[in-house]
Amino acid sequence: MAKFEAGMESMVDTYIFETTSLLEQLDQILIKTESESTFGEEEINEIFRIMHTIKGSSAMMGLENMSHLAHAVEDMFYIIREDKPVIHDTGRLYDLVFTASDLLKAEIDIVQDDDTPPTDFSAHMRAIREYAAVLKGVNTAPAAAPEEKSADRKTDPNELVEVSICGGNSYTTHVVFEEGTAMVNLRALVVVNSIREKCDKLGFEPEDIENDPKSADIIARDGFTICFTPVAGVSADEVTDIIRNATFVKEAKTSYTGALKKVRSGDLTHVRVMFEPDCKMENLRAMMVINNIKEDCELLTYFPKDIENNQETAQLIKTDGFFIAFRASIPDEEIFRIIGETPSVRSIDEVTPEHKDSEKPSKASEGEKDRQVQDSTGGGDIKTVSDQVKAAKKTSHTEKKQSLISVNLSKLDQLLNMVGEIVIAEAMVTSNPDLKGLKLDNFQKAARQLRKLNSEMQDIVMSIRMVPISGAFNKMTRIVRDMKVKLSKDVELVFEGADTEVDKSIIDSLNDPLMHMVRNSMDHGIEDTPAERTAAGKPPRGKITLSAYSSSGEVVIIVADDGRGMDPRKLLDKAEKNGLLTKPRTEYTDKEAFSLIMLPGFSTNETVTEYSGRGVGMDVVKQNIEKLGGTVSVDSKPGTGTSFIIKIPLSLSIVDGMEVSVGKSIFTIPINYIKESFKLKPNQLLTDTDGHDMIMIRGECYPLIRLYELYDLEGAQEDLYEGIIILAEADGKSACLLADGLIGEQQVVIKPFSPLLNNFGVKQNGMSGCSILGDGSITIILDISNIITGM
Amino acid sequence: MAVETDMQSFAASGGEVLTFTIDGAVYGIEIKYINEIISYENITVVPKVPQYIKGVINIRGQIVPIISVRKRFGKEEIPPDERTCIIVLEFDGANQVGIIVDRVREVVTAKPENICATPQHKNVNATHYIKYIIEDESGIKLLLNCEKLVLELDTPVHG
Repeated sequence: MAKFEAGMESMVDTYIFETTSLLEQLDQILIKTESESTFGEEEINEIFRIMHTIKGSSAMMGLENMSHLAHAVEDMFYIIREDKPVIHDTGRLYDLVFTASDLLKAEIDIVQDDDTPPTDFSAHMRAIREYAAVLKGVNTAPAAAPEEKSADRKTDPNELVEVSICGGNSYTTHVVFEEGTAMVNLRALVVVNSIREKCDKLGFEPEDIENDPKSADIIARDGFTICFTPVAGVSADEVTDIIRNATFVKEAKTSYTGALKKVRSGDLTHVRVMFEPDCKMENLRAMMVINNIKEDCELLTYFPKDIENNQETAQLIKTDGFFIAFRASIPDEEIFRIIGETPSVRSIDEVTPEHKDSEKPSKASEGEKDRQVQDSTGGGDIKTVSDQVKAAKKTSHTEKKQSLISVNLSKLDQLLNMVGEIVIAEAMVTSNPDLKGLKLDNFQKAARQLRKLNSEMQDIVMSIRMVPISGAFNKMTRIVRDMKVKLSKDVELVFEGADTEVDKSIIDSLNDPLMHMVRNSMDHGIEDTPAERTAAGKPPRGKITLSAYSSSGEVVIIVADDGRGMDPRKLLDKAEKNGLLTKPRTEYTDKEAFSLIMLPGFSTNETVTEYSGRGVGMDVVKQNIEKLGGTVSVDSKPGTGTSFIIKIPLSLSIVDGMEVSVGKSIFTIPINYIKESFKLKPNQLLTDTDGHDMIMIRGECYPLIRLYELYDLEGAQEDLYEGIIILAEADGKSACLLADGLIGEQQVVIKPFSPLLNNFGVKQNGMSGCSILGDGSITIILDISNIITGM
Repeated sequence: MAVETDMQSFAASGGEVLTFTIDGAVYGIEIKYINEIISYENITVVPKVPQYIKGVINIRGQIVPIISVRKRFGKEEIPPDERTCIIVLEFDGANQVGIIVDRVREVVTAKPENICATPQHKNVNATHYIKYIIEDESGIKLLLNCEKLVLELDTPVHG
């Protein structure tokens, strides 16, 4: 069975995306505040806002457990925010929040898995509540309300609701939702939130739409009533339009209901209604009374309040009676008569409030009722609401992600393909054979403009998919933080080149490998104690560096630690023992020896030596990276540290390329490999004893690679002096390439070869991918480092 | 037998087959593999791959490798004319491959009674890529095994 409410499936992607990014944001805030060991007001508000959003959206999705957990955290931060207690046990607070964040993340992972039941978070919620209680205890403010209640107050600004009938510049809107709308109470909440900014004062009925699912039934049956006073400059029609245009709203009728003025309870008529002793369900009978007199009252309030939903009010009414305060538009006697005619009403007594000054609530029921009246008709709570609105406005200014929207990746793929199609179509139009020989000045002018716009559009679309790698890096801060605590090692994490842009899909699949490598470095790379490090002449604090840079169609990511490094001999010993060596031991280079740690099964043998365990998950890293078409290599020096070097081809990265022609083929050489290109002069050519040509440039001698020969191409320029020589350098080695001619420089998008072609080793033959040129033709991108090293 | 159940499922799925000719013989491909049919266009040569892989073309931003069925079957290649087509096949929902055929004929529905298995000759090369033989009023059609034709790496047949 699906975990979501019916009809919510379409929201799942958005929900997962939003919640995940909120939790990531949360982690970052926590890590930042923890390292600075301060909790600024802004951070608290931000955490509060995150938890509140998660709570709301989880509830909307019908994910009760997540919603409740988020609620618990929210409550805790409410106490921190409102009461500003002195937090003694900061570590515990961070642990609690981090764990909650992890639990939520884990739950999101299984949210689409219908077979896994929702996780029970009650244990952790209890822990949070306990800690919250401690916080409350620490805080000595005498007037502190119970935690639950305070939490409720801030989440629902409803106390003003009793303005159900009022005068002046306030309006009442009756909203009816589409039939069959799921979670109609939350839809109502959305409506309320949408007009909140436009309204000075705002109330609605039923009240507890956010937390009480029962309100959905009421709204579905009776509709939803909103009372509001627009802020200056906003007309009631404007607000009504917003309501009307909200999703699922079928109709919204606004009527003028007069001023919202402060009414002294003494100006109202107060009555106490007693019901027949054994009539049962007093609360609903009281509701009937209210319904009967509603039409004829200008102002109306009653106590107990939540008579419709709260069964407990029945008992209260039974013992104390039901209090109504009203100002009627018809004579009071008429009202009394109406009340009296309601079934089961036994008696009506007019009562005089003891405390007319509602600022001092009395314990007497009348007094309490007075306060209700005052609260509801007066400004008190409404002001709180508008304050909240103002506060919300203020915090929204400090949000950073305002300008971002989330888009489905497949749509971007489509867009990119579509742009490619347009470019091809443009070429088909502008260089149409039918136009040959015609003199079309205006046409050419327009065509040039089109070409310019198209190439700009191409640039933009290509840049959309690229995201900075910092997203993947930032996740590592959390892992380092956790392991630092667990292993009690002092390690700092340093980023380099975090703004390197890579394709979104690569970022997503980088998370796991990065995590394994960082863990490895933390666990096994960095020395166990600062003393050990100092003895080795290193600073006591360990350092892990994550760096990234892009280099001609590849993104290079390096995870380096300055720990104790690995000894290739010991690795070979171990591999030999496990029978993992495939050739004689003496033939292994250091690099090959380091790569052994990525063999599956290398780390299974747990011996307590300095390199043991190195390789936990490393075979997974290798597999994941290879799935992306990349490579992993390891470099290490005993005593100075280890680095993992990942090279991944950018599946959709843009490269500045030089197009060269060889016969009928066009190849693209990434421009950063090219040192220079020139026409050969006879005195530069040398031939060695084996007949290999070499080219002498400024006293340096470079081997010559004829591209037509390398790729068996026909019809190419074979005369060295007619063709063009390109001096290319990769990985510290240089060579000269012979091509027919240079066509031009262009930015190209690398597209990987299809798996079919990969099976034939195109990569090993020095081709890293293809690209589509502006005219729709395909160029093959050369992998210079493979060509040069493959010589 | 596995072949028979596969044959049944093929017949049950409607048994629709796109037929085309290569060197006079009529072949068929199950319709489920076929994405589209395009006319022959310039193919970008990819060096250092088996000869039957003619290169790659660009289909709406997708780089699609192209296989010459003639070359794959060890037949002489002919210069493309206006009837030469590329049938674009799709595997696993994403992996596209185009095959060059002499001309595309029609879509026929193979009735179960008209489908028969290939003879099990080990040394007859041609049956290697053929899944079933369909024989009806209009003649004999050889239903190709697409996976083998396109994805199998070993035993490339050279003329």
